[in-house]
Amino acid sequence: MKIAAHTLISDLTARTEKASETVRAYRGLTEEQLNAKQNPESWSMLECLEHLNLYGDFYLPELEKRILTAKPATSATFKSGVIGNYFAGLMLPKATGMKKMKSPKDKNPANSGLSVATIDRFLKQQEHLLRLLSLASKADLTKTKCAISISRLIKLRLGDTFRFYVYHIERHVAQAERTKTGLGKTA
Amino acid sequence: MDPFIQFLTDNATERTVAKNAFIFTEGRVDQNIYFIKSGAVRVFLQTEFEEMTIRFGYANNIIASLSSFINDTPSEFYMQAIRSTTMSVISKAQFLEFTSASPDRLNWYIQLLQGLVTQQMEREIDLLTPSPSERLQRVLARSPQLFQEIPSKYIASYLRMTPETLSRIRRSMNP
Repeated sequence: MKIAAHTLISDLTARTEKASETVRAYRGLTEEQLNAKQNPESWSMLECLEHLNLYGDFYLPELEKRILTAKPATSATFKSGVIGNYFAGLMLPKATGMKKMKSPKDKNPANSGLSVATIDRFLKQQEHLLRLLSLASKADLTKTKCAISISRLIKLRLGDTFRFYVYHIERHVAQAERTKTGLGKTA
Repeated sequence: MDPFIQFLTDNATERTVAKNAFIFTEGRVDQNIYFIKSGAVRVFLQTEFEEMTIRFGYANNIIASLSSFINDTPSEFYMQAIRSTTMSVISKAQFLEFTSASPDRLNWYIQLLQGLVTQQMEREIDLLTPSPSERLQRVLARSPQLFQEIPSKYIASYLRMTPETLSRIRRSMNP
């Protein structure tokens, strides 16, 4: 796909701000609520956030590194790569309900002893992401390549990496919201 | 009896928290002064990547969220009980009432703050010391009971090293 770079950055920024706003409200919940699971295999709200935090531990330094060494944009348009576009699309929460996907083992937050501090860690990562999105407006989103967490052999275009990363956050925040809505309704 | 201890006996609220419970959290103003009677606590900063333990509190320590106490701003830090901890708690108003009651009291407060500033400078040097084993030596000199009171994962964070490095240093110090 092709999109004006500044439109993409604005869109991703808006999604990130929305996710932060949603999660900020979780500070008012009790630790019990935040750790509640709808069933033994599903994730609690904190587990959803910690999963995202674990991804941030990899992607935020990687994105920062690539942006700081990126060449300035030669075109105002971002052109998606085939693989990047595919990964980004995979992550989007869809209106018709999301496909269940297995998480990589090192990104599985289950049973890692989480607390309200997990929420603040998440919010700080989003603030960092917003700074990176702002810096990225000067970088070439198409020509700059980023490593990904699951394979050393694949690099994605910077624009696609941001899309993949931001949509992934939306996906799991939506999951946390569903868990929140379900609080107190399970046996 | 120490006038401050007497003041606490007469005015403080007793509070016991369970292991891992938070006494104060980031984002809320907390202007209490906590005097630890038994147990142990840590104060940490939650960054986007990790929890950074910056302070420990043991029995007979006075501890607070300092910037929140002084400036009436939301705490940047968390205080968490490392094990079940009993504390005497007074409010900022009560504390200031104590410290402003006489010139002696004011002097006591000045001494307390001077001690605190000295500790902060020690801590700054800790963090700038390049050798991990030297960082450990410095802290052990101040708090020999460190490893009896605090789990080593928190000590490693305080010393700004991995738990593995801390293990290695301890083994080499005690062959």
